[in-house]
Amino acid sequence: MTRRKMFLRMITASLLRRRSRMLIALLSIAVGATILSGLVTIYYDVPRQMGAQFRSYGANMILLPSGETPLTWEKVQTVLDMVPDSELVGATPYRYVRLDMPSRQQSFTGAGTDFTQVLKTSPYFSVEGAYPENTREILVGKEIAETIGLKTGSSIELSYKQTADSGNTGSKGAEEGALLSGSAEGFNKAILKVSISLDEDEKISSIEVDSSSQTPGIGSNVGTDQAFLDQFIGKSLPLRLSGTASEEQGKGEDTGLIDAVSGATISSQAVVDAVNRTVSAENAVPVENREHFTVSGILSTGGEEESYIYMTLTDLGRLTGDELLDVAELSISAPSDELETLCSSITDLNIGVTPRLVKRVTRSEASVLGKLQALVFLVTVVVLLLTMISVSTTMMAVVSERRREIGLRKALGASDRSIRSEFLGEGMFLGGLGGLMGAVLGFVFAQVVSINVFGSSIAFQPLLLPVTIIVSMAVAAASCQLPIRRAVAIDPAIVLKGE
Amino acid sequence: MALLELKNVSKIYGDLKALNDVSIRVEKGEWVAIMGPSGSGKSTMMNIIGCMDKPSLGEVLLDGVDISKEPQKKLTDIRRDKIGLIFQQFHMVTYLTAVENVMVSQYYHSMPDEEEALEALERVGLRERAKHLPSQLSGGEQQRVCVARALINHPELILADEPTGNLDETNENIVLDLFRQLHNEGTTLIVVTHDPEVAEAAQRTIVLEHGRVAREIINENFGK
Repeated sequence: MTRRKMFLRMITASLLRRRSRMLIALLSIAVGATILSGLVTIYYDVPRQMGAQFRSYGANMILLPSGETPLTWEKVQTVLDMVPDSELVGATPYRYVRLDMPSRQQSFTGAGTDFTQVLKTSPYFSVEGAYPENTREILVGKEIAETIGLKTGSSIELSYKQTADSGNTGSKGAEEGALLSGSAEGFNKAILKVSISLDEDEKISSIEVDSSSQTPGIGSNVGTDQAFLDQFIGKSLPLRLSGTASEEQGKGEDTGLIDAVSGATISSQAVVDAVNRTVSAENAVPVENREHFTVSGILSTGGEEESYIYMTLTDLGRLTGDELLDVAELSISAPSDELETLCSSITDLNIGVTPRLVKRVTRSEASVLGKLQALVFLVTVVVLLLTMISVSTTMMAVVSERRREIGLRKALGASDRSIRSEFLGEGMFLGGLGGLMGAVLGFVFAQVVSINVFGSSIAFQPLLLPVTIIVSMAVAAASCQLPIRRAVAIDPAIVLKGE
Repeated sequence: MALLELKNVSKIYGDLKALNDVSIRVEKGEWVAIMGPSGSGKSTMMNIIGCMDKPSLGEVLLDGVDISKEPQKKLTDIRRDKIGLIFQQFHMVTYLTAVENVMVSQYYHSMPDEEEALEALERVGLRERAKHLPSQLSGGEQQRVCVARALINHPELILADEPTGNLDETNENIVLDLFRQLHNEGTTLIVVTHDPEVAEAAQRTIVLEHGRVAREIINENFGK
């Protein structure tokens, strides 16, 4: 038999045959380790858990167009691809325009959005009635509703006037080769859209016409008739439809004549008008679109949202004739430093999107998390200290209980080192066993806390098992230091002096 | 040659001279009893011989080494290597079995060897009780385990402190018989006792009184 085996045999015999005292020490360590591993589990899970809670305060990042280029859903989508699915709570696009209410000669801010996303990024929206579900349904801010006496089910007419400053037309300062877009009223007042690009001599180098709003097979041909479209290439603005009076008459020479598609003169005229407008929007005749809407719900938030009229992007797009966005609100469940990193990578993408963190949300989130984590840390330290005191006291009692045995061992020739390693061995064994128990119980504890407090379960962290065991052993070893000193100081002669 | 020699040894606690200028010699292989009433200095002498205490004055030569000058750590080594101890209260490790208690002594000395430990128990007639805990053994059996433990490392000197003080006559005789065997094998025995019968079993008795050697008695009947 080796000395090591004998050492283990003595230690296990001591632990197994002198149970009651050891159970107390074991229990102390197990309880300490339970709290330790439980709190550490929660500590690392809190940001995730609390992040989800914080998301009820709304979006924490907004995307804005940078410079002159407008924001589009494609760009937002590019950004969203950078956010892990598990962290993205919601992404809501917004388009704000001025809407008129012809019956009352009043204007309001109209907002186009995606209501399924609104529910995710603005959970604090309180709607009396329902969110718009069908086309031509609107959500009216409480303030507006009260001012003009709207109720759920009311019907109102809203109109949108396309003007130079409404942001949907191209500007002359745009880069060469850049896509310019414009629109004009075609057949039956339906909006027809074109986009062109100009070469360095300001001649049209390409043209695309969206004529889907025009009469199929007749007016819609202006978008597909290649011979018609080819006439535009190489010409400078403004253009004129042959056989008609120039819109621009008196303001300059016509530089190009375009032959209309036969049977679609109005649509052809609309294409020419739209092309002209791409660069001469300031001269454009305002296009006004009107539609009737039904109020599906009244929105109250306590904020500025109460003075807006919300509708789907599709409905708003029909009024404005474009699909641009002004802002996208993102709700991302991630710590603030991760959000900062995300912001800089979005900026680095250089796709004309400027990210902004909603500081009042991200900051308060970070500060609450910081405080919570500090609290958990403090409690863990206190619990470890208490464990240490408890184990130390127990071991102290064990030493005085075993005074005679220690004296005997020394009389039999045990060196101080032997005595030290025997007690340390027992302590570490208790620490290891207690740590193992604590790691398992701690996970159960964290799970119970998580389910009761945050309403979601947490995953087991495999790394926590060895960490808990090692920390427990270290705590046990530290707790044994004072008792060991006592044990080493025992005089072997006590075994000789009678009872 | 003397295994143990005390030269003018005194142990002074304040005003009290527990040992006062004591000189004794114990030859290798000798069996000596130390007697005396309570307070005569027996325990003090035992502590000094057992390397658990140092004299205030004088020299203690154990196997040629002056142990009164050695540091505490060295004394532990000397005790472990040269001395087998037997106590009045037996003193076993309560949570270890008989054989494990014997092995503890091996463990501190060199290498635990269960077979050898069992042989030692066989010698004291307790092989079949090897797996019993001290609480399951009688006082006599416990003391026999202690004898086995004391002799397991083949010490030069067996130092026994009232070895039969807590035993009945039957067990006392068993222990004394064991001592006789050890003596015949050449082991040096020093037995501290106040029991004249135990003292008479030895070759020579040193009587202490008030910290001094009062007289020495040679046992004429030894070996007869």
